[in-house]
Amino acid sequence: MKRLFEGRMRNKQLLSWLAVGVLVGALLLPLVISIPLLAEEFEDAALEQAAFAEETLGEDVPAQEIGYDVHYGDEGIVQGPPAPVTSDNENDYPRYNFESRVIIWVANQQHLYYGSFVLAVPIFVMIIEFIGMVTKDRAMAQKYDTLAYDFIKISITAYSITAILGGVLVFTFMILYPAFWTYMTKIFHPAMHIYVLLFLAESGTLYIYYYGWDAMREGLLKWVHLSMAVFLNVFGTVLMMLANSWATFMMSPAGVDAEGQYLGNIWLAVHNHLWNPVNIHRILGNMVFGGGIVAAYAAYRFLSAKNDEERAHYDWMGYVAMFIAVAFLIPLPFAGYYLMREVYAYRQQMGITLMGGLLAWLFIIQAVLIGALFLTTNYYLWQGMERMRGAERYQKYIKYMTFVLIVCFLVWLTPHTMVMTPTELKEMGGQQHPVVGNYGVMSAKNGAVNIIITTTVLSFLLYQRCNKIPTVPWARYGNIALWALFSVAFVNIIWLAIYGYYIPANVRVGLSVPQVVSTLSCLFIGMTINLFMMRGAKPTGPVEWGKISVRSQYALFMLATSFTWMMGLMGYIRSSVRLHWHVNEIMRDNSPWAFTHTIGFAANMISFNVLFFWVTLLFVFWLGSLGTKKAVVEKGRAAPVAALAPSTN
Amino acid sequence: MPGFIEGMMPVQLLAEILLIIVIFVLGAMILDKKMGIRIPMLLQAALVFIAGWWYYKFRIEPPLPFSVRAIYQVMIAIGIFMWVSSAEKGWTEFKRPILAVLDAKTPLTWWVRAVLLVVLPLSASGMAYKNLLPSLGEPIELRTVHPAPPAAVTVHGKKFPLQTSESPVRVDESGEYSNHIQDAHVMDNPFDPDSIQYMQNVKEGGDIFFQNCHFCHGDNLNGRGLYAYAFNPIPANFTDPGTLAQLQETFVFWRVAKGGPGLPREGFPWASAMPPWEQHLTTEEIWKVILFEYWHTKYPPRTWDE
Repeated sequence: MKRLFEGRMRNKQLLSWLAVGVLVGALLLPLVISIPLLAEEFEDAALEQAAFAEETLGEDVPAQEIGYDVHYGDEGIVQGPPAPVTSDNENDYPRYNFESRVIIWVANQQHLYYGSFVLAVPIFVMIIEFIGMVTKDRAMAQKYDTLAYDFIKISITAYSITAILGGVLVFTFMILYPAFWTYMTKIFHPAMHIYVLLFLAESGTLYIYYYGWDAMREGLLKWVHLSMAVFLNVFGTVLMMLANSWATFMMSPAGVDAEGQYLGNIWLAVHNHLWNPVNIHRILGNMVFGGGIVAAYAAYRFLSAKNDEERAHYDWMGYVAMFIAVAFLIPLPFAGYYLMREVYAYRQQMGITLMGGLLAWLFIIQAVLIGALFLTTNYYLWQGMERMRGAERYQKYIKYMTFVLIVCFLVWLTPHTMVMTPTELKEMGGQQHPVVGNYGVMSAKNGAVNIIITTTVLSFLLYQRCNKIPTVPWARYGNIALWALFSVAFVNIIWLAIYGYYIPANVRVGLSVPQVVSTLSCLFIGMTINLFMMRGAKPTGPVEWGKISVRSQYALFMLATSFTWMMGLMGYIRSSVRLHWHVNEIMRDNSPWAFTHTIGFAANMISFNVLFFWVTLLFVFWLGSLGTKKAVVEKGRAAPVAALAPSTN
Repeated sequence: MPGFIEGMMPVQLLAEILLIIVIFVLGAMILDKKMGIRIPMLLQAALVFIAGWWYYKFRIEPPLPFSVRAIYQVMIAIGIFMWVSSAEKGWTEFKRPILAVLDAKTPLTWWVRAVLLVVLPLSASGMAYKNLLPSLGEPIELRTVHPAPPAAVTVHGKKFPLQTSESPVRVDESGEYSNHIQDAHVMDNPFDPDSIQYMQNVKEGGDIFFQNCHFCHGDNLNGRGLYAYAFNPIPANFTDPGTLAQLQETFVFWRVAKGGPGLPREGFPWASAMPPWEQHLTTEEIWKVILFEYWHTKYPPRTWDE
């Protein structure tokens, strides 16, 4: 009997490991797909096939036109027509009595907003459900489960809207830009069919995942349920990557020759130069965006809460969502940096148009928004300290941190070339100011943004220890180590920022690495030391969820709105950098709207999109609030795991 | 008041702001702890705001454009808000006098409220009037100083792809292009007749510069030549780390060869008096003058690899 039992256990263990392997494999699938080696294999196979045909059929083989890949430079057999040369007429550009570009802009942006949201939410629903499953405290486990369910519930309404908006977008392309759309479908039609099939698979998985939540509540079924979340995310991520390939093909075409003729290898067209940088940036961006939206939802529910219990639950929900958003916000600038590097590597003009030329003013706005995100995050954390008794010890440092943040922010957003009247220009004696103009260059900006992030880490660290007094025997040395770590990081970042002025630009670019290392050391080493120091610490009081100022909830709104605005802005920048091209250097945009809009018009359009999205999202929130499961909150107990927040007892 | 020290300006500015804040914090602390005088939170906030305005308006020379000062002042206001409202206690203290004026329960607060109710709308209308008043000044132009270059430029019938071209006169002893030759000879005497080819090229570039360019770009290459202030905008200052040092040598080649008329629209070709030098100089002379400008300012040209 015992042997039989042990045998079963072994089988179960084996099955578990097998299941984990399959899930990890599935999660890695998007990565495997994006490996460049595959492209070469595809291409070799195509050429081998052509050579084989020539060998076997000899001279009878009809002459095949050979083209050279516009990006990879490889040889390929021409398999499609050249990119159409359009002209400003009703056939190429059918139109209403309105700017077609504005219509496509709105349709695209709204689809992207909802698409990002429904891709991001299942990722952290999966994480939260998993935390709930491994949490031993049953009340807490239940609370996590309810939270995950709350999240997916919001996303399911948004999912339908995403699909509707996707339909609107495709029809808008077909109706307003038929020549362009026909060209794109001729190249990407196999990928588009896979896209549709993946969409079906994702929908099916999502519905079973959502509607099966209660039925698959216990035991093995719960693990099956979680594994569905994994597949849901794999489908979603691959889906997004396919759609990204169309957008990046328009920026950095590949797989076609200089005339735009398709060379028969779909993989090369998908795996164009900017595909992977955009993939990485969008995955991280989606997570930040999704976190921001859910935090705003929680803030909305907090402000409309009828009792303390609800307030406590939504305060906690807002905190967890904000934490997820910020966790992914920290690596986002580095992904952005990688993307820009690749843009410069692809075409120098494109990089300069973005960051130094025509679109540079929009980057200044982006800088303001990034700064606003970090300021708001810090502000929210400082407000959160009010939930804990014992936080007074650290509140006195807030004014100094504010000072550091604001000074760095001033450096961060000082433009290199300033907006000024000609009179002011003459008074100043040049486009660059001799004193503050020095803050307009990269060296100062890198220093400022790293200090801002490091200070945010410091705020979080203080927040974590607000209601605890360390009792480990090495507490004094731990504090000294933390002081030393942050001091060295600050000195290193500032010193390198100053040193950067005295060395060539290509060496200076390399200085950003030790600066980022300083920032990340504070994040990882600082957090680890702090975590160990807080083991068995003496609590000064519980985290009183719900006892937080309403200002903090407005900060969450601010966070979410800034994300939305920034996403609209950066999407516009990425798209408009093609200037008068539908497909860069391949297919010219000859519509009457091939000019770059003024900054003011673009800003108004982005604001309109943001407003439209939030108005429709309020409807989604309202739907989410209908029949919401009552959150099981035990006052004083309700707190996330130690990694997320200070202890509660 | 002593001015800003050349070469230390950005650090000096930050140090001065830090000093002002330290004096402010220490002053407030001494008044509170030693003399028992606590400065109300609202007054503290107002003092910080005014100090910021004063510093950026009067301390910094030459004067900052209004747009930059406006950004700075808004940021200072946001910082003040974050500071006073970060904890409930401070926020309550900050709001107290404002609420007292709004409630107007004492004669003093009643009068303050009455005055504010008159002064605030009047100020707003004054500002609106000032903004709407037609101005004779030239409008603001968002000129792009470093517009995106074309992929290639044709000079004297030869095509130069900007991303891959190299200066033919930036050569080492073996006659090969070298990125490091400037560093090794930055202190050399260009008038030494025995100098290497690179230094001879620099000297010839210098001759061309002083025959053609220095009238506008200045004998120190700082954009303050004899005719500089006859132009709007004034000529580029090559000693500024934001000009030559930021650019590839081929970018400068494009700018010198094609001048103002060759700028794309975003670069406002009508707002540059720079002649297209390809009409006056040979291709080699253009490369040499650029070589001299980098050598003289000691900035290496921007490169994308290494």
